[in-house]
Amino acid sequence: MEKKIGVYICSGCGIGESLNVEKLAAVAQRKGGQVVKTHPCFCGEEGNALLANDVASEGVNTVVIAACSARAMTDAFRIDVPILERVNLREHVAWSHEPNDEHTQQLAEDYLIMGIVRVQKTSPPEPNIQDISKVVLVVGGGLTGISAALDAAEAGSEVILIEKSPRLGGWLAGAWKDLPSTAPYRDLETPQVAEKARLVQANAKIRVITGASIEKIAGAPGLFDATVKTEAGEETIRVGAIVLATGSRPYDATKLAHLGFGSSPDVITAADLEAMAVKGEIHRPSDRKKAKSVLFIQCAGSRDEAHLPYCSATCCATSLKQAMYIRERNPEAEVTIVYRDMRTPGQGEFFYQRAQEDPGIFLTKGVVTGVTAAGGKIQVAAKDTLLGPDVKFEADLVVLATGMVPTTVDEPILNLAYRQGPALPTLKYGFPDSHFICFPYETQRTGIYAAGTVRAPMDSAAVVQDAAGAALKAIQCLHLTAQGKAVHPRVGDDSFPDFFLNRCTQCKRCTEECPFGTLDEDEKGTPKPNPTRCRRCGVCMGACPERIISFKNYSIDMIASMIKAVDVSDDEDVPTFLGLICENDAYPALDMAGLARIKYSPHIRFIPLRCLGGTNLVWMAEAMSKGLEGVLLIGCKHGENYQCHFVKGSELCSIRLSKVQETLNRLQLESGRIRMVQLAINEFDQLPGIVDQFIEDVKEFGPNPFRGM
Amino acid sequence: MSEAQLIKPDLGYVKEVIAAGGESLKKCYQCATCSVVCDVTGDAQPFPRKEMVWAQWGLKSRLINDADVWLCHQCADCTAKCPRDAKPGEVLGAIRRTAYRAHAVPAFMGTLFSDIKFLPVVFAIPIVILAAVIMLNNQPQAGSHLFPIFGGQGFMPEGPIVFSKMMPITTGVDLTFLTVALLAVLSAFASLKGFWGRLEAQVPASVPRKGFVPSMMEFVGELISHASFKKCTVNAGRTLAHLLVFYGFVGAFIATNIVLVYEWGTKFGIFHELETPLAFSGAGLLPKFFGNIGGLAIVFGALLMIANRMSKSEDSPASGYDWVFLGAIFLVGATGMLTEILRLMDNAALAYPMYFVHLVFVFYVIAFLPFSKLAHLLYRPIAIIHAKNVGRDTAAPTAKAA
Repeated sequence: MEKKIGVYICSGCGIGESLNVEKLAAVAQRKGGQVVKTHPCFCGEEGNALLANDVASEGVNTVVIAACSARAMTDAFRIDVPILERVNLREHVAWSHEPNDEHTQQLAEDYLIMGIVRVQKTSPPEPNIQDISKVVLVVGGGLTGISAALDAAEAGSEVILIEKSPRLGGWLAGAWKDLPSTAPYRDLETPQVAEKARLVQANAKIRVITGASIEKIAGAPGLFDATVKTEAGEETIRVGAIVLATGSRPYDATKLAHLGFGSSPDVITAADLEAMAVKGEIHRPSDRKKAKSVLFIQCAGSRDEAHLPYCSATCCATSLKQAMYIRERNPEAEVTIVYRDMRTPGQGEFFYQRAQEDPGIFLTKGVVTGVTAAGGKIQVAAKDTLLGPDVKFEADLVVLATGMVPTTVDEPILNLAYRQGPALPTLKYGFPDSHFICFPYETQRTGIYAAGTVRAPMDSAAVVQDAAGAALKAIQCLHLTAQGKAVHPRVGDDSFPDFFLNRCTQCKRCTEECPFGTLDEDEKGTPKPNPTRCRRCGVCMGACPERIISFKNYSIDMIASMIKAVDVSDDEDVPTFLGLICENDAYPALDMAGLARIKYSPHIRFIPLRCLGGTNLVWMAEAMSKGLEGVLLIGCKHGENYQCHFVKGSELCSIRLSKVQETLNRLQLESGRIRMVQLAINEFDQLPGIVDQFIEDVKEFGPNPFRGM
Repeated sequence: MSEAQLIKPDLGYVKEVIAAGGESLKKCYQCATCSVVCDVTGDAQPFPRKEMVWAQWGLKSRLINDADVWLCHQCADCTAKCPRDAKPGEVLGAIRRTAYRAHAVPAFMGTLFSDIKFLPVVFAIPIVILAAVIMLNNQPQAGSHLFPIFGGQGFMPEGPIVFSKMMPITTGVDLTFLTVALLAVLSAFASLKGFWGRLEAQVPASVPRKGFVPSMMEFVGELISHASFKKCTVNAGRTLAHLLVFYGFVGAFIATNIVLVYEWGTKFGIFHELETPLAFSGAGLLPKFFGNIGGLAIVFGALLMIANRMSKSEDSPASGYDWVFLGAIFLVGATGMLTEILRLMDNAALAYPMYFVHLVFVFYVIAFLPFSKLAHLLYRPIAIIHAKNVGRDTAAPTAKAA
């Protein structure tokens, strides 16, 4: 494609009052802008028409808009051209630096030139479009899976629902009562799963396979080949996206001897009690006598580093539920609940209030210190109660409220034929979750969405919502994949990494580091791309020591060229710094700093990256040899509560940097010239401090010796 | 470490407290806002939070022998601040009701006052006894419509209204009321002796005691000024009402006792005989003064109490017995004043029956004092004196003045 570059410099929103726009236009012309125009409002009708006219009649096919943030006015600047670039003169320049200052003007010129270089180094992406399956595979036939299947079918998708046991329904099929799911959230409900299972069986769009297990899933979104094994034999089915809804199991109570499990048949689990309620009377298993007094021990093995470190969110409400039906069946019964904290999230508070109203339900905070069988009763000793320093209770029956363990802890279930392993990567405590706030339902495998208690502990009302969310995510994935586009967070991106395999040394860094397991390997270790698994983060690009991985619109050469384009002043007192920032969190944080008119040094040039995980060390070398004083990298928080949009990009970047700093030391360049910081999107107010501190610290080293060479 | 105490929840007692006006007690989720806002609780083992938990568990023996529930004057600060609408102030009131019923000697009197359904029995007792006393002291007369049970013959005296003609001082009033007062004192003594013993037993002997008499003197000082009562911010109006009723009864008590002293003094020749009805002069001046001022104070105090209660009937549902009690307090004053007015109007047909009704309520107040809400007159001082004795009463005005 022969490019015709149009550069459009807006002087609105205070840009014109702060910068010499005419001078900028001259720079743009000099640096390759074939059509250069200025206007006080390009997002307005007149300005927009100007743009549209140039595209339609002047043959402009590559557009650089130097105006506001790339995150602002996206609708106004949705122009149908193969290449479009936004240069942020508003938030990152005019709003955050001294107006009509030479350094501010220089900053704007550099950004403008970098933008032009960027489009010069860009060619239009060619989307990878394949003939894909749009079938949604739902794994797990409990309430979550049933709901997901129904939701996906209702949205028009073909669904295959696989269940391990001979019948649908999961745990709730064996429950006597369920927690309230509708206002006023006070009354026990009959589990709705049986009715929903009937709807699934009757739905022509849903194929149910029971008594089945998954031998293997190979392929990629749109192209998954699931090998399903049943008594009848093996069958390989082509599916597009997968909803994992295999739920959880109760924590193994045999590990809870300290709470009396195993010491008497009258110490049972919440699941045992539920089964007992379905079968008939609530009784003591030891002598089958009606249980007159029942004591619940909450957090049985939960919130305990030796067992399950987390809270399962539903055990408190479940015990309240069971207490209520015990009392309903036998008004003489006395039910005691010893809890660590009564946790009834969401609407559960109303249910808690309802249970409290019952005079026969006795509640106390407390830590259970011992459970012993004595004289036909179970004695439960507790400390830190509200009833006295050390107390004990007596009950006919003791119920341990055990927490939830995701089924993925026991086996990989999906048995993925991926280079990075058959299981879904886990975030915490064995849940195959991704960062829920930013990426609901996503796992770290594209096209596979976890829902229900396999993802996080939750109650039945929540799993129904979860199922709908995951089903919609799966459908969204299929529709984007069919167009060769990326899913969240780069939704709609139709670029794809190209591998110049002739120069591949089979080092396997890319196949190991891809956060989404996109790349498989052949026998020799050469990467085998699976385009539909890719999220376009560029982590592989940053990982490759041979620099053979690049996108049409995002490459090592492109960023290096942008760095080269930065003007380094001859004046020794005017230092220049490079900032490489994550476009997801740090870039908007800079925008917010601009919105808040927070000022920081004009001597740093920020280049947004798709993910800091795409940082290639060659850029550091480029910046240093160019004579830039230092490089500041601003990425997302990593670690346990990571905020990286690509799971581990910022973490990978920091690992790589630890190596480059060794190299710098060898070159007699201070390693402190490169610094990486983690910044959450809401910490924008800290940005000026971070930038100014870095500049201050690097000044200590004196000027970069490579400057002016 | 001390031996763990076995906790046995008592559903029956939970229901009893609920029935006694503590229906909100189960709403408590132990946040302790109540104990934080309470102006009269001590800092160690503060109330009312612990009482709320005990009540939810039905720990009866702890609650009926708990001094702290008596330190509460039900100012309702806690009820106003409770985030769960558990009304700790009301619950403590209900606990107090169950406490004096539980301590009642003889026990059946506690039962009689535990349920509003026994109310007819409660009032039948004074009616029958007083009617019997009147009948035994008089000959039935034709045309009289007081107790016209003997073939139309009744017990209304003729001539100018002189109540002692119907109810002679010595063989009527004294015989009846000194007897029931004595019984009430005996009953109260029996109850309080046990109560005091159990209170003191809860505090280890190692805790220094201030002594009964100094503690009592301190209490009396506070009683006269109603110092603790004034700490109520939510129910500021209650102090005046309680002061009026309290001093009203003190006035009535003084008037009665002056007359009693005179009456028995004359029998021993110390005083000149008093002529009834008493004149508003001479020897009658003092009893008349105290009696009338006291009566008015009771009437207005009780009206104020009733008005207070009605104005917040929504968040303060008094149990049936509380209303009966408030009614009785009002009526004992009102019937007394009406009796006097009717006498001065010379309306014998109404004055004698009114006097009878007045006597019924006086009987109710004196004889049932250890079992009705007036029992707080007994238990509260004992509990406060105990608290002062063991140094629990850090709520003395000076301690919390800041």
